[in-house]
Amino acid sequence: MLLIHCPYCEEARPEVEFVYGGEAHIARPLDPSTYSDEQWEEFLYIRSNPRGRHHERWRHTHGCGRFFNAVRDTVTDVFETTYKAGEARK
Amino acid sequence: MVEIAEIAVSAAELKLGTEPVAGASVTLSHAAPRARYSLRARDAKVLSDVIGRALPGRIGDQADGAICLGPDEWYAILPEGTAMPRGEGLPVSVTDISSRALGLVLEGPGALGVLSSGCPLDLGKMAVGRATRTVFETVEIIVWREAEDRWHVEVWRSFATWLWNAFLAAIPGAHG
Ligand SMILES: [Zn+2]
Repeated sequence: MLLIHCPYCEEARPEVEFVYGGEAHIARPLDPSTYSDEQWEEFLYIRSNPRGRHHERWRHTHGCGRFFNAVRDTVTDVFETTYKAGEARK
Repeated sequence: MVEIAEIAVSAAELKLGTEPVAGASVTLSHAAPRARYSLRARDAKVLSDVIGRALPGRIGDQADGAICLGPDEWYAILPEGTAMPRGEGLPVSVTDISSRALGLVLEGPGALGVLSSGCPLDLGKMAVGRATRTVFETVEIIVWREAEDRWHVEVWRSFATWLWNAFLAAIPGAHG
């Protein structure tokens, strides 16, 4: 079973306690009414989809309930690190 | 013509037991009725002052029935009828959820094995007195290790019948 280190619980916990939350560090528009269709398309649908290091959100749904960020290798599925929401990109 | 065989057990036939069930090395029973509160606050000190109780600061720690589930969330399992101030006007949430869950108790040297049949955590390493939210198969539970061989399991009412029977199935020699 894949274990994920929760930065809030400070423990490695089983993957089934977590829910994947998509790519991380995608900021919501500060003033949505000024966004063009192209900007909305970019915000809503365009993702980096890298081969290798991927910054992504996870939620420890069946644990502490917190969203946090992770760096996972999309080739090997290895988690390089996890860090709390709000911390700088690693 | 396709014959449709009846499935062996339908959910409607599952019953939530009322009496304790004893297996070879483990007993399954209901915990006494409790008052339950969901407690939320960014600042634990404010919440602690409102309810007049100490709150554990580390996730997974438990003090006098108050379990720290997350950085801003506690779950209190208290004697039935225990009242709590609500903290109106303050940045806290004190919610009575007494009827939302049931407490099941697994006790005996075999209890760890029964829980481990469906819970992916390494519960053998869990210190006595610690508690956590987790899952049993796909059902969310809160596990509290009350003593070396005594485990209190909180489960939402609508899942309790299934969980009771899942525990029964994992207890060697049990007959529900
Ligand atoms: Zn966590």
